[in-house]
Amino acid sequence: MKKEDTVKLISAEGFEFVIHKDAAMVSQTIRNMLTSPGNFAESQHREVTFPEISTTILEKICQYFHWNLQFASGKETEFPIEPELTLELMMAANYLHT
Amino acid sequence: MSAQKKRNFQIEAFKHRVVVDPKYAEKTWKILEHAIHEIYNHNASGLSFEELYRNAYNMVLHKFGEKLYSGLVNTMSFHLKEISKGIEAAQGELFLVELNRKWADHNKALQMIRDILMYMDRTFIPSTHKTPVHELGLNLWRDVVIHSSKTQTRLRDTLLELVHMERSGEVINRGLMRNIIKMLMDLGSSVYQEDFEKHFLDVSADFYRLESQQFIESCDCGDYLKKAERRLNEEIERVSHYLDARSEPKITSVVEKEMIESHMQRLVHMENSGLVNMFVDDKYEDLGRMYNLFRRVPNGLSIVRDVMTSYIRDTGKQLVTDPDRIKDPVDYVQRLLDLKDKYDKVISLAFNNDKTFQNALNSSFEYFINLNARSPEFISLFVDDKLRRGLRGVSEEDIEIVLDKVMMLFRYLQEKDVFEKYYKQHLAKRLLSGKTVSDDAERSLIVKLKTECGYQFTSKLEGMFTDMKTSQDTMQGFYARFGAELGEGPTLVVQVLTTGSWPTQASTTCNLPPEILGICEKFKSYYLGTHTGRRLSWQTNMGSADLKATFGKGQKHELNVSTYQMCVLMLFNNADRLSYRDIEQATEIPAVDLKRCLQSLACVKGRNVLRKEPMSKDIAEDDAFFFNDKFTSKLYKVKIGTVVAQRETEPENQETRQRVEEDRKPQIEAAIVRIMKARRVLDHNNIVTEVTKQLQSRFLPNPVVIKKRIESLIEREFLERDKEDRKLYRYLA
Repeated sequence: MKKEDTVKLISAEGFEFVIHKDAAMVSQTIRNMLTSPGNFAESQHREVTFPEISTTILEKICQYFHWNLQFASGKETEFPIEPELTLELMMAANYLHT
Repeated sequence: MSAQKKRNFQIEAFKHRVVVDPKYAEKTWKILEHAIHEIYNHNASGLSFEELYRNAYNMVLHKFGEKLYSGLVNTMSFHLKEISKGIEAAQGELFLVELNRKWADHNKALQMIRDILMYMDRTFIPSTHKTPVHELGLNLWRDVVIHSSKTQTRLRDTLLELVHMERSGEVINRGLMRNIIKMLMDLGSSVYQEDFEKHFLDVSADFYRLESQQFIESCDCGDYLKKAERRLNEEIERVSHYLDARSEPKITSVVEKEMIESHMQRLVHMENSGLVNMFVDDKYEDLGRMYNLFRRVPNGLSIVRDVMTSYIRDTGKQLVTDPDRIKDPVDYVQRLLDLKDKYDKVISLAFNNDKTFQNALNSSFEYFINLNARSPEFISLFVDDKLRRGLRGVSEEDIEIVLDKVMMLFRYLQEKDVFEKYYKQHLAKRLLSGKTVSDDAERSLIVKLKTECGYQFTSKLEGMFTDMKTSQDTMQGFYARFGAELGEGPTLVVQVLTTGSWPTQASTTCNLPPEILGICEKFKSYYLGTHTGRRLSWQTNMGSADLKATFGKGQKHELNVSTYQMCVLMLFNNADRLSYRDIEQATEIPAVDLKRCLQSLACVKGRNVLRKEPMSKDIAEDDAFFFNDKFTSKLYKVKIGTVVAQRETEPENQETRQRVEEDRKPQIEAAIVRIMKARRVLDHNNIVTEVTKQLQSRFLPNPVVIKKRIESLIEREFLERDKEDRKLYRYLA
């Protein structure tokens, strides 16, 4: 994976997730961050910090991004969500416009 | 770890919900406001999208959406006011440049603002029915910048000025123009229409009104049309370069109206260069241009068409009524064909094969061809000429083309039965003299006539062909039987013609020379022997003969003469001098024919096998004739034509007319009976219209004649008048 194609997502606790740009762009919010015409800090450094998203949730979200891409390309599998994550995950989803 | 978490599962309130800092909203807004300022100042690179988005998100989430929204409106308005001032301050040409640049900036800023306020755009705005951020930005731009008192008129005037400059041939910055117009369109089609298009159209109308006035004073029609076309194309090009595509019909209609519609009459009738002159000078290009331009405006084409129709009618009328033309029927028809060809070409090259124009052309021809009552005769003569000699050595396709053209003229004729009459005469002459160029061509024309007018029309013509064929067989049979017996005597070729099919004239027979008479009698008895119940009579006025003659110095010639001439010449076998009266007595040829045949024998130079005393052009009753010993000719075969008028003379013409009228009577009667049989009861006017309709394909019956025929039918008790209503007729079965 080339460096230009990746993006770094940082959780509230400081954990860093490096994922493919295409996966990150499943989120409309992240897509806007990276493509908005003005040079925002995020699109310059290709890293986004989410001070309100915990590592657990962000991990799940990254998993979801990849699952979503696979699903969209025709690989239909289940995406397991642990019940205790549900609420926070929904909050994050709303925030990320996913 | 997850197992442990599962055990401790409990629902917690989201922590931010609890934060109710009264200054929270104010603080967050400050951050966002600052960001917007930075964005407008091109300073956004340091900003964190996530932070801004999160702040906006939280504001909306914590029910401060309203504050966020109004704050946005205020901040944006503030910046736009600044921008507007900057634009207003721009001098001269820089005005548009500055406007364009600021517009681009604003668009970019707007995009960024919308992105960071996306959450508000997504949730708050739809639920409160506010204007979405992007649209809000455009509206503010429109109200604050474009509609600012100083900019609005200045912008419009600048744009119109640029258009005017371009119309005057200067080069303008089309890219800039396109961007500005695009901006107006982005602000909503009403902005484009109100702020630009409306004025643009008005100014254009003024411009073209003035310009067309100048052009029409200084140019001829062709040049004017060229200029108008160029202007039109320029406008279309302008639209495609930097205006809204929907403006095209509007601006073209302005140009059409000002440059064409208001000057149509004047253009068409322009002296020395108008439509008529274009026709005269075969200016297909100009005609095509006129067609294409006039097609765009209502009634444009009908003006062109009317002028064309009346012009064709005029020229046609001149042609058919010109006494010089009538002298030469072949030339007359050829000219008609040329005229038709010319306008066919005009219509196909310049008028896009427009059906309405073709119809106009046809109706014009129909109109003037029928102005001259002799047109049917002349057309038949034309065909006769073509089939006698004109088509010799011409390929079959070309023959077809000529025949098709003739048929086209034929279609215009109203009196098709008159044509039939003449055609029959001419065909008979061709067949009997064996002078037709091609049997195929003859038959092809008959087939064409048949498809055009039906079986009835050509049945007699076909009968003539059948007679020719049967006669050949009969003659073969005759010679097979008597050939040996007849030996060296003269050879007889008889064509047996069915009465009725042929245009026979009740002719007084002449006395045939005894040499011929014998074999004629023989044939007669042979023919009547094989066909009982028939009657043969000799049509001596239609035959021809080949004679072998020896002259004074022993020169031998074969003379091709008519039957009458043969009769006269045979008399000179026994005498050297005969007076007119002697000849008349011996042959009993009718005086008119005899004079004609003597004239051709004695008075035509190079063909004068007889000598006349006294020498003069015309035959008098006390002339004397001698065998011309000194006759010489380079050719062995000498063809002595009868001096016949090709064209009918006036009395003959009258006679033919009368016969045609006679022939029409039974046709009209038949039509009346057919109609009445179907309708039983009908009033006079309706009968007349129906009869006219039925007979239209053959001729145009005269209402007076129809009335006479009805009366005659009443007399013969086919019809009766209604007892109460005298206008009604009843059919009596």
